[in-house]
Amino acid sequence: MNSNFSCKTCASADQKLENFISNLSVDTSHHRMEGQSVKCGFGLQGICCRLCSNGPCRITPDGPKGVCGATADTIVARNFLRAVSAGSGCYIHIVENTALLLKKTAASKGVLKGKVALAKLAEIFEVDEADEHVCAEKIADLVLADLYKPDYIKMELVEKMAYKPRFDRWKELGILPGGAKSEVFAGVVKTSTNLNSDPVDMYLNCLKLGISTGLYGLTLTNLLNDVMLGEPSIRLAPVGLRVIDTDYINIMITGHQHSMFAYLQERLIQGDVIEKAKAVGAKGFKLVGCTCVGQDLQLRGEHYKEVFNGHAGNNFTSEAILATGAIDAVLSEFNCTLPGIEPICDELKIKQICLDDVSKKANAEMKPFVFEEKESQSNEIIDSVIEAYQARRGVVALNLDAEHGNDDTLTGVSEGSLKSLLGGTWKPLIDLIVKGEIKGIAGVVGCSSLTAGGHDVLTVNLVKELIAKDILVLSAGCSSGGLENVGLMSPSAASLAGPKLRAVCESLGIPPVLNFGPCLAIGRLELVATELAEAIGVDLPQLPLVLSAPQWLEEQALADGAFGLALGLPLHLGLPPFVTGSPVAVQVFTQDMLSLTGGQLIIDDNAQSAAQTLDAIIEKKRQELNI
Amino acid sequence: MKRIIIDREKCDGCLNCNIACISAHEEGSNFYTVNLQSPDAETRNFIKFDAGKGYLPIFCRHCDEPECVLSCMSGALEKDPVSGHVQYDENKCAACYMCVMNCPFGVLKPDKKTRTKVIKCDFCDDKPDGPSCVKACPKQAIVVKEVNL
Repeated sequence: MNSNFSCKTCASADQKLENFISNLSVDTSHHRMEGQSVKCGFGLQGICCRLCSNGPCRITPDGPKGVCGATADTIVARNFLRAVSAGSGCYIHIVENTALLLKKTAASKGVLKGKVALAKLAEIFEVDEADEHVCAEKIADLVLADLYKPDYIKMELVEKMAYKPRFDRWKELGILPGGAKSEVFAGVVKTSTNLNSDPVDMYLNCLKLGISTGLYGLTLTNLLNDVMLGEPSIRLAPVGLRVIDTDYINIMITGHQHSMFAYLQERLIQGDVIEKAKAVGAKGFKLVGCTCVGQDLQLRGEHYKEVFNGHAGNNFTSEAILATGAIDAVLSEFNCTLPGIEPICDELKIKQICLDDVSKKANAEMKPFVFEEKESQSNEIIDSVIEAYQARRGVVALNLDAEHGNDDTLTGVSEGSLKSLLGGTWKPLIDLIVKGEIKGIAGVVGCSSLTAGGHDVLTVNLVKELIAKDILVLSAGCSSGGLENVGLMSPSAASLAGPKLRAVCESLGIPPVLNFGPCLAIGRLELVATELAEAIGVDLPQLPLVLSAPQWLEEQALADGAFGLALGLPLHLGLPPFVTGSPVAVQVFTQDMLSLTGGQLIIDDNAQSAAQTLDAIIEKKRQELNI
Repeated sequence: MKRIIIDREKCDGCLNCNIACISAHEEGSNFYTVNLQSPDAETRNFIKFDAGKGYLPIFCRHCDEPECVLSCMSGALEKDPVSGHVQYDENKCAACYMCVMNCPFGVLKPDKKTRTKVIKCDFCDDKPDGPSCVKACPKQAIVVKEVNL
């Protein structure tokens, strides 16, 4: 193992996790932060261009333009659109695979657990088909047909899914997306060497990618998965390192493509497989949740009580989960599967299997998921995990933390389950907002990063500030993983809320921070927002609703952010998305966006002042609604 | 006495020292917000590239016998006897630029905007956490060392 790792680890909002990691003998991201603490100023401002061999060019006082003549505004816009295109590509890859799986599941008359989701999609897409399998296949085909359109042909489901006032505005702005995959292609071409140099054109392109990412990559991925895997339902669940049970053979899952695990999940709890586990001394198999796919499994946990032991942690908790020594295998199919897990897996003899080559880890076995071979593939995976279990258990030291996390995180919140909790209508929530018992709603979403104070630090501090101001927080993404592990999604967290929100939470027995699960569920927040706006009869920018991705990490988050801005919502980020070197970018994102979509970017890495800004926006929107 | 010591071999020419210097002299700015396109953006340190020798970091040495101080007629440049750092008082400067001409390292220069003052390293006013350029160097090509003179 790397013996040069730093002894100093970065701070974490989760004190128990921080202590656990600081005492580890393996190198983690938390250790590596110190060695990467000096950042490049040109990179931070987005004013470094590596698009040609005359570069890298950087904007300096003596070099205000690149060799080609590109200004800071052009360089920043190109870098940004490239990142949003890549982020969109990631989510579109996920929805494409999910739709393909739904199509194959339906064609083979497989189990479709989510009848309500199927009916909902059939209604939105206007598919009139009594046979559920035929209906599901038609739905999958409609999604795929849109994804594969060229960029000059608009996707057809956008109008069916989008809230009408939003659709109309997007049409006016000329940002309705063509085929989602082609739009990624267009974004990459546009930003190549000596092509587009118009920053405003490129930012409008980002909004277009935001729409295709949001409606397809986010919203539809959830709904298609709901059809296959079952709709979320609200329940209390254990979270944190405590969910790892050493009596079982433990498989940690990382990624975003939950449906790839569907067959394996069922197989792991069948009698013959449990017997195999018992033959080597284990009670059976358990899946341990990590990253968004774990968060998604947690969300649907009601359907997977036997095989799923709980969500252990988010992206930057993955190395710690493996370092417990109690994980026997990692199955990954997407991000966030950190390269940092590779040496830990080698050292602790943990089997790594990748089901999708987009997340192939250097030392992992590649086993591309093939629907038609899922039976034999699952059996092979089970056998190789048993082999790893036998080779490592008893040999590898265990380092557990049964105190980490809690047993009462409220999970399973979705647009459907929340509405059911309220009695099948949004009216009770709207009434609470009108009366001011809930001042407004903040969607605190996205990743965790190790910047902005440390792991989950800004996210947790901001959420505490918001709930203290009687603002209900909805969370989706790795932010949920951090917020649940520190107890903010437990009903007892109501005591941290302002007096009005506290009373609401206590009367309903819910926490002031609601757990929508993976980052994909940002699409569910969009559904909630749209249904609320529809019920009140206003457009989205008028709602007392704000978004924050305090610790956004990667390109996907930037595509999510573009969706948020296209929806016309105020969006707070802890750190700037590498655009501050361009006056035009700053102007477009923080000012001009208000007149384009109604959205607005707010950058602030201080939890207190950011919460004050978001609170003031909510107050202003309340006043404008006369409530 | 503290000096910035240069290890030329370690320099990658990233220019982070330039950004740090400009930011340190733009009040309230940081690496995200410093305006590198402003006419006031002036760096007090320089990285030159030589095809044979690689990157050459050029920093004020705060010399033991500073030619700039010796050539300054107005008393704008003075060597602090305690810190050993050469400090510049803009108010006393006559803008004769004898210092610019006499600096053996070519590190002093007139300001770009007004040409009425000299741009010179102030060792970040001897802040307790040291000069900002040193903190910003990812390669430790520049470090602060205590020297006995």
